Amino acid sequence: MSAERGDGGRPARVYAPDFLTELFRNPLEPGYVAAAERKRRNPPPAWRTRSARSVSLVVLVLLGFLLAVAYRQTMEEEPGRSQARSGLVEQIKERERQTDELSARADQLREEVGRQRDAALSGSTAARLRDLEAGTGMGRVRGDGVVVRLADAPGDADAVTGTGAGPPQVLYTDLQGVANALWSAGAEAVAINGQRLTATSTIRSAGKAILVDFRPVTGPYEVAAIGPGSMKRRFEQSRIAALMREVADKTGLSFGVREADDLTLPAAPEPRLRYAEPPGSPSPSPSGDRSASPGPSGSGTSPSPSGGGR
Amino acid sequence: MIAVLALLAGVVLGVWLDPTVPAALQPYLPIAVVAALDAVFGGVRAKLDRIFDDKQFVVSFISNVLVAALIVYLGDQLGVGGQLSTGVVVVLGVRIFGNVAAIRRHLFRA
Repeated sequence: MSAERGDGGRPARVYAPDFLTELFRNPLEPGYVAAAERKRRNPPPAWRTRSARSVSLVVLVLLGFLLAVAYRQTMEEEPGRSQARSGLVEQIKERERQTDELSARADQLREEVGRQRDAALSGSTAARLRDLEAGTGMGRVRGDGVVVRLADAPGDADAVTGTGAGPPQVLYTDLQGVANALWSAGAEAVAINGQRLTATSTIRSAGKAILVDFRPVTGPYEVAAIGPGSMKRRFEQSRIAALMREVADKTGLSFGVREADDLTLPAAPEPRLRYAEPPGSPSPSPSGDRSASPGPSGSGTSPSPSGGGR
Repeated sequence: MIAVLALLAGVVLGVWLDPTVPAALQPYLPIAVVAALDAVFGGVRAKLDRIFDDKQFVVSFISNVLVAALIVYLGDQLGVGGQLSTGVVVVLGVRIFGNVAAIRRHLFRA
């Protein structure tokens, strides 16, 4: 820090008012005033005025150019954005279609495998395997049972803003509760909107969507279960049924239970085993010794809220 | 009058040539436009104050645009590009408002 030197040539330091005050009070470029002052004191030669004038015209042309370019740019960006969006939507649709195709093919192949296996195995072993498959959700099943239908309350004026609470909606916990109650009412096979539940199935929410085994399901939700004739009565007596009825009364959700004959529930997709390995000997397939009963034998990695019977 | 014609000529040129802005420059375009508008309103006000100066106008236009772009560029490098562009727009917006108010006083005496 050098000491303040009082050399007389330097003018005393003047503190301007703070920046914002200055800005609001005097928005004009101070340069204009200074330039006017200069001009008044010694008028510039004519050629200089003329050339400055032409330069400023060029700048104005530049300015118009800039405005036009910026306007066009902004206009062009907008469709670009919506195009990107629709492109993404298209890609999603395409992938979903591919997934459907592939899973259909997987089903076909699985059936083929089953047929081949039946042919290769002796009658009783094959029958036992089929039973196990039906119990664990690995095989298609048919039978009488009940269908529980849940649907969101009809929307009201929400479509405009798309925000806010919106109409009351079915939550993933409702589906979990219903599925669990059906299991405990004696169901032997449960499917939500055609997605078969197994011991390791998950029912979760991701944002506003409900995912069953990581595949989105949309309302109205139909939880179909195959089980004994007493199942409907027992389900109706369950806590979740009472709760859902109350919720339905209060909020306008729809909730219904009906008996259905000759339901066909599809097979669940083959689970990917990450830690368990089938032993080399007699067990013919990994699903054979996975779980004889749909108990909560889930692989430790993913929670299985909809797990087996309680 | 000639100034307005020049402006229109620029617009026509821009529409006619329809240049594509390089992607790297795109974020600076709106800021540059606001800075240019500030210079223009400053010029108009000076004109009405009868102290318009061509050199001052040219220099203020070019420096406004360059400084605004530079600030936004710096902000981008520092990771505060959005906030700095907001700051630039606010400052220039205040100046434009003030100048327009002065122009209004000149034109309508109110």
